[in-house]
Amino acid sequence: MSFEVILGAWVATGLTLFILTFLYQDNPLFKLAEHLYVGVSVGYAIVKTYDTVAVRLIYEPMIKQGDWSLLIPLGIGTLMLTRYVPKAAWMSRIAFAFVVGVGSGLAIPRVISSYILKQIEDTVRPLVALATDGNATFTYSLLNPASNLNAIVLLIGVVSVLFYFFFSVEHTGPGKAVARTGIIFLMIAFGAAFGYTVMARMSLLIGRLTDLIEYAQPQYGRATWWLLVITIITLIVFHARRKGTEPPQ
Amino acid sequence: MSFAERMLHIDRRIIFLLIGLCTLIPLLYPVGLAIKVSPEVKSVYDYIESLPEGSVFLLSLDFDPASKPELYPQAVALLHHAFKKNLRVIGMTLWLPGTGMASEVVSRVAREEGKVSGKDYVFLGWSPGGGSVIINMGQDLYKAFPTDYNNQPTAELPVLKGVQSLRDVNYVISLAAGSTGIETWYVFGKDKYKFELGGGCTGVIAPGLYPLLRSGQINGLIGGLRGAAEYEVLIGKKGKAVAGMDAQSATHFAIILLVILCNVFYLLIRTSKNRAEQNRS
Repeated sequence: MSFEVILGAWVATGLTLFILTFLYQDNPLFKLAEHLYVGVSVGYAIVKTYDTVAVRLIYEPMIKQGDWSLLIPLGIGTLMLTRYVPKAAWMSRIAFAFVVGVGSGLAIPRVISSYILKQIEDTVRPLVALATDGNATFTYSLLNPASNLNAIVLLIGVVSVLFYFFFSVEHTGPGKAVARTGIIFLMIAFGAAFGYTVMARMSLLIGRLTDLIEYAQPQYGRATWWLLVITIITLIVFHARRKGTEPPQ
Repeated sequence: MSFAERMLHIDRRIIFLLIGLCTLIPLLYPVGLAIKVSPEVKSVYDYIESLPEGSVFLLSLDFDPASKPELYPQAVALLHHAFKKNLRVIGMTLWLPGTGMASEVVSRVAREEGKVSGKDYVFLGWSPGGGSVIINMGQDLYKAFPTDYNNQPTAELPVLKGVQSLRDVNYVISLAAGSTGIETWYVFGKDKYKFELGGGCTGVIAPGLYPLLRSGQINGLIGGLRGAAEYEVLIGKKGKAVAGMDAQSATHFAIILLVILCNVFYLLIRTSKNRAEQNRS
């Protein structure tokens, strides 16, 4: 196994353990790992952006391939930097106007088509299907998303939730029942979202613990065990030092 | 303080320890609980199975290392499947912080399957703009990515022969951890350039993507670590996702139990308070 892989395993193990120490209490090891994360992320983003945008997408096509048309977007982009010069700051509005204009023009029709029209089209489904012989059929399977029973459930859900958010009419009498039904649908949706969120967070924990188990193997120099011992000793030392410097009650 | 009150004021670190043990023990001593494949994951698998050899498959790894435990196993399983089917694989990312990781997973799986960079697959890297990159690729792939991640001119790569834009791509899958991902690929890509689109995502964003699945805007969805495990079962190559399923089940069981217990203790406290008030009056 190469030295870089082993070094990477030790760094990953150490930082994982440092971050997990926060579950006990806030401490300098956690702060160290947190600051390293922010610093490395920002540094990585700056270097990659410079390499991709400045070198590969601007410098190389312009200088090596003579594509001088790139001067136009480069000029518009540079106008944004005039924000830092108070007297010339107004020029940045040209760039922002361009970005907002093009962005809105591209996004609005596509978003309306994808999120509103397509979703309405899918919501308005026939409640009873017609078979090839002309007879009406009704499918009851709740497990089949395309069944007629699910089409009715969807219709009730959409109408009741929309009514719940309709505040111009007081929710009394039959309106109260509809609004209550809307709340039930909303609660089910929130429950599903929460369940998925729990699953996702547990997956992250599983991922880290899987790595810690892997890096406890002899080929990685038992990184997990050594670093766990070092982390615990450091925490005890920090705790003892803090106790010594705390003013008496 | 009653037992129920003591339980509701329990040190939260005990709960952390419990969840930690519920995760760690099944990872060390796996039981191998059965994994049932869901229709949305099967749809992705079936579509890749139906593609003829040499078809163009684009995998957009739109996530960063923070979502690695969920989406990395999905990427590994999908890449193994695509390479086994001898598809021409194009890898890319719309997420800057994930570039290095995306490059590593594509090249690692390709190496395991004996594939050659430039001939069997290409990793294009990252380009700024999100939706604009997709529009640009839909017009001219070589203008959006003049060079690949290794700085090789994309126009000269054999793997991209006959591919001019997204219209020439047979199947796109976005593995997404956030808003720049599956939805972006649909809105700016599929809706206009008419390629088939599938998705893989973290558990957090999965519920928001089911409406796209139902309406046919995406043809399949691999959700979280669970989805990755299902895909590993489908391709017959059990990996980290399957290994994590026992731990996932154990932690879910522990959380359900804790939720029920908390509600029972809460009800007990409320009932005893009501009784005390009644006795006082």
